[in-house]
Amino acid sequence: MNPYYAGVLLGVTLLLSYLILGAGLGASSGVARVGAYMELSVAPARTLATEYFGSWGEQPLQYYLVFMLVGVFFGGLISALLANRCHVRIERGVKCSSKKRLIFALAGGILAGFASRLASGCTSGQGLAGSAVLVTGSLLFLICIFVSGYSIAWFVRRQWDD
Amino acid sequence: MIDTFFGNGTLDTPAAFLASLLIGIAFGVALEKAGFGSSRRIAGIFYLRDMTVHKVMFTAVVVAMLGICYAKAFGLVTGENVYFLPTNYAAQIMGGLIFGAGFVMSGWCPGTGAVGLASGKVDALVFLFGAIGGSMLYNEVYPILDPITTGDQGVIFAFDSMGVSEAGFAFFLTLIAVGCFWGAEYIEKKRHGKGDLWGTPFLKAFSVVLVLGAFGLFAVAGQQPVSTSVASKASPETAYLEDLQAGLDHMDPQELADRLLAGDPSITLVDIRTPREFAQFHIRSALNIQVSDLPTLLSPHKNQGLIVLYSNGMTHPAQARDSLFRLGYGNVYFLTDGLKGFLNACLKPISLRLEPVSSVLAFKINAWRAFFLAPETPASDPKIISNSSTAVDISNLTIPGLVETDWLNMNLGKSDVKIIDLHAQSEYNSGHIPG
Repeated sequence: MNPYYAGVLLGVTLLLSYLILGAGLGASSGVARVGAYMELSVAPARTLATEYFGSWGEQPLQYYLVFMLVGVFFGGLISALLANRCHVRIERGVKCSSKKRLIFALAGGILAGFASRLASGCTSGQGLAGSAVLVTGSLLFLICIFVSGYSIAWFVRRQWDD
Repeated sequence: MIDTFFGNGTLDTPAAFLASLLIGIAFGVALEKAGFGSSRRIAGIFYLRDMTVHKVMFTAVVVAMLGICYAKAFGLVTGENVYFLPTNYAAQIMGGLIFGAGFVMSGWCPGTGAVGLASGKVDALVFLFGAIGGSMLYNEVYPILDPITTGDQGVIFAFDSMGVSEAGFAFFLTLIAVGCFWGAEYIEKKRHGKGDLWGTPFLKAFSVVLVLGAFGLFAVAGQQPVSTSVASKASPETAYLEDLQAGLDHMDPQELADRLLAGDPSITLVDIRTPREFAQFHIRSALNIQVSDLPTLLSPHKNQGLIVLYSNGMTHPAQARDSLFRLGYGNVYFLTDGLKGFLNACLKPISLRLEPVSSVLAFKINAWRAFFLAPETPASDPKIISNSSTAVDISNLTIPGLVETDWLNMNLGKSDVKIIDLHAQSEYNSGHIPG
């Protein structure tokens, strides 16, 4: 799809989210709440006693952004299936081993998960939703993502063919 | 004004969950159609190989921004029915820098990771497990991050930060976005010798439409009659921000404690936490009002005396104050450092304090403790009357307001003795008096 059309579709979705829900799009909260749910099922008392996850109560999945994340998965699935883009594989450069690529994905995931809690949002909640309503901190967050991304890109280029 | 789920406080109902699910599906379709089911494509942005991320993100931000600006101009959207994220400079700058590293290493972010998983990418699944782990890690170190996470500035808009009009800022951002589109197309043309869209009638038309759309904001903003809208109230808004800077928007715990102790009738103290938390403990004389009900229930106190809002922290009271200000309330304050700060500053027993306490302050602390920790209506509580022979009624202890260890041992487990641990959660977890 022409990326600008995809961008308009994404922008209209974001606008509808603000007009219907009264809040922007978000993804990382859903991910974190799945984490809280997992901890709760293993060690409920300990998890409820922690300050951050504990504040979400005993039902962390009863939250609109969890449902939104489920929607993102199914929306992606529908679109990928229709366009025949759904294939099980590890995406990497030809010269990079699968193991190395997965280690990068895991480490990147840990950093992104941690940072999205610290900043109360990720590329969706802060980068898109916060920036679209011109919130100072969200615009700064978006700028910082790219400043950091471009400075580190060279060091991790080997996992692609760059 | 639109009746949003957030606006009427129903964001936690099944209807809102269904709406979120549907919006999520549209979100997922948009991301997948943009090509974000591929980490290699997303990472391409950092190697100037594939500029799709910039094109899609900037387009989405500008389209949504223009839509919201128009919705605001026509009064459909205000600070009351839409949730705006508060700004916390340290957390967001550090978060952005760390997130950028994670983004370039993995090629995913949480939203695109879910789409990648739906597209069968194993690296997306691993990324999501990592992100769950990263969130758990955050939960573990949360108490240490306190100095960063509490530095909340409330809701700040970039146009206010830069001292320009909203329409002006939106127009400026649209011009930057259009410039980036042309730059991105040019980079792709140089790299691959082919620019799919460089100089095409489509890109020209798209650029013109966005710029005209942004330009139209000036016309709409100009038409806005002098009403209660924020944009038209230049001078009160400036005064409001000056107050904010001078710290006149909040009240220190000690000042509040003194005024309540003295029975100051001008203060309306409002606890905006949940009724359950309120029932567990609240500052004496506080009313319990949920944020969504504030405008209705506080209207008798509008610009009458002082309204002091508090919650556990400062974020929600600050947001509520902001929102009430927009409704014309000029007399709203919030409690510095929230209820936690109040407990620490005023009610923490002297024996548990790390720093030395002057005799004047010690006297005050004991008076505050006697006043705020006493049952609000002792006479109406039958248990206290029946047990009065064992001197359980805390109000009888008054000054010095401290209990002896033996007394505590004797009375532990009695239902009318409340032990309040004033330590931070982490310290509480590592050891506290049972009960």
